[in-house]
Amino acid sequence: MSGRPAAFATVFRREVVTVARTPAYALLVVGLLVAVGGLVAVGGGGATGFVPAVVDLLLATEVLVPLAAVVLGYRALRSDRASGELAVIRTFGVGAVTYVTGVLAARLLALIVVVGLPYVLVGGYIWVTASPDTGIYATHTGVDSPLLFVRFLTFAVLLGAAYLAVAAGLSALAGSRRSAVALGGLVLAGGVLGGDLAVLRSLSTGTPAAALPDLLALSPNGAFRGLVFDHVIGVAFEGDGPTVNAGRALLALFGWTVAGAVIAVVALGPGRFVTVAFERMRRRVGA
Amino acid sequence: MERTASTDDPLIEADGITRSYGGVAVLRDASVGFTPGLTVVIGPNGSGKSTLLGTLVGQVPPVSGEVRRHGPAVDGRIGYLPQDVPFRDAFTARETLAFYARLIGVEGAVDEGGDGAVDDALAGVGLADAGDRRVDALSGGMRRLLGIAVATLGDPPVVVLDEPTSGLDPGMRERAFAAAGERAGTGTAVVVSTHDLELAEAYADHVVALHRGRVADAGPIERLLANHGVDDLAGLYRSVVGADPAGEGSSAAAGDDAEAKPTGGEDDAAVHVPGVSDR
Repeated sequence: MSGRPAAFATVFRREVVTVARTPAYALLVVGLLVAVGGLVAVGGGGATGFVPAVVDLLLATEVLVPLAAVVLGYRALRSDRASGELAVIRTFGVGAVTYVTGVLAARLLALIVVVGLPYVLVGGYIWVTASPDTGIYATHTGVDSPLLFVRFLTFAVLLGAAYLAVAAGLSALAGSRRSAVALGGLVLAGGVLGGDLAVLRSLSTGTPAAALPDLLALSPNGAFRGLVFDHVIGVAFEGDGPTVNAGRALLALFGWTVAGAVIAVVALGPGRFVTVAFERMRRRVGA
Repeated sequence: MERTASTDDPLIEADGITRSYGGVAVLRDASVGFTPGLTVVIGPNGSGKSTLLGTLVGQVPPVSGEVRRHGPAVDGRIGYLPQDVPFRDAFTARETLAFYARLIGVEGAVDEGGDGAVDDALAGVGLADAGDRRVDALSGGMRRLLGIAVATLGDPPVVVLDEPTSGLDPGMRERAFAAAGERAGTGTAVVVSTHDLELAEAYADHVVALHRGRVADAGPIERLLANHGVDDLAGLYRSVVGADPAGEGSSAAAGDDAEAKPTGGEDDAAVHVPGVSDR
């Protein structure tokens, strides 16, 4: 392996090791496990089956997974730039695309572990302790199944990936650690609340209710919630029709992820020349 | 190591480089070439040393002018040690070097037996026994030596070291300059910014003196000393800058040129000074 793939693999490996050696991320796993396990225990859904447990977890997941993703991403791309190591890495022929994709891929793997581990443990607990029919691999309406929980977890990871990429992308723009934290908070608040508020405002200003499935799909949380309603909870219950346009929802989650990566690449690549362009304009104006 | 360029030809040159921040020029129309050997860049804090070095490695894009590479430097990478050594604390010195070695596909970089290119590089800067120490457990001097090892990994034709002796004790300063001088002896153009004039004089082949963002003088050290009628680099510094180097701050007090604001009062006419390569 040589060239870009080798550089990608090298950056990826370094980032994975960095995450593995950061004790705070282990605490994040424990915190999530306590929160998710506690919710299932208190809600009681876990004793009944996977779908009731998903119902118990849905709202919390919409906050906890974005929170974990922002924690993993808010300074992922800032630390090397702030320390000056990115300048050294560049002299080894590593371009912005290779660097950003390497870091983001590693952080995504970390997200899968950080989010996946608590949910898998809770899922395993439900499988062992809930009523007998949870062992059925259901593909038809009305039957609970571990596959539905896996589907829910997959959607949760897609939601997290969108937040991770956007938080990391904005971290590449942050001038200081404080502004990185502020931007991370903005991503979290804007994503968790902003999308729904925008949909509500849109409906109150005359947008027909029939457009709701398309509108909901645009925000990461709306897309996630709709997918869970339609393809996890909706499998067990008879619904009135799709909550979101599934294709559009998946595309939106993917699109947010790509947008975050693009922001990062631009910030760490051509974005460096923005200040030079301003200085040139200043010279022309001053001349 | 084989170099195709003659020692009189610059491997890299700055041509009319100007860089400003917020409209304040930190570097003005700087033209200078760097030939194989060790070139020290001297000047007061805020004179544009870090900015000049940053433009050479592509870290600081110039507002005007360009950096040209020649001979083996056209396709080769440029080794770089920034003023603040930036490596991740949680990695050992060996892991840090191995990361960079893998990036350029250095053969034997990850030899677990301990005799690969990484260990050679560590030994080359006197850190053979510190390979398993985490970066945050290295002293400031050892970090800089690790930085020099990273910068020189893969035998780049041009190596740029921004104040490698800043904040070091005399022994470590000597080691840092010795490592840079050894590399310069192999046909590499090593560019070092420093306030350590004594060691600079002992190791340098060429000198670039910056003052208020301009190249005040540049050339082989013997020629500059003769031209200015002085005996040593401190005398040259006084002659060019018009101040005592001791009064400008020691290496430990080196500032960040990129953020420094040059004082005014200079004329705007382009200053053409023959560079190190007599450009």
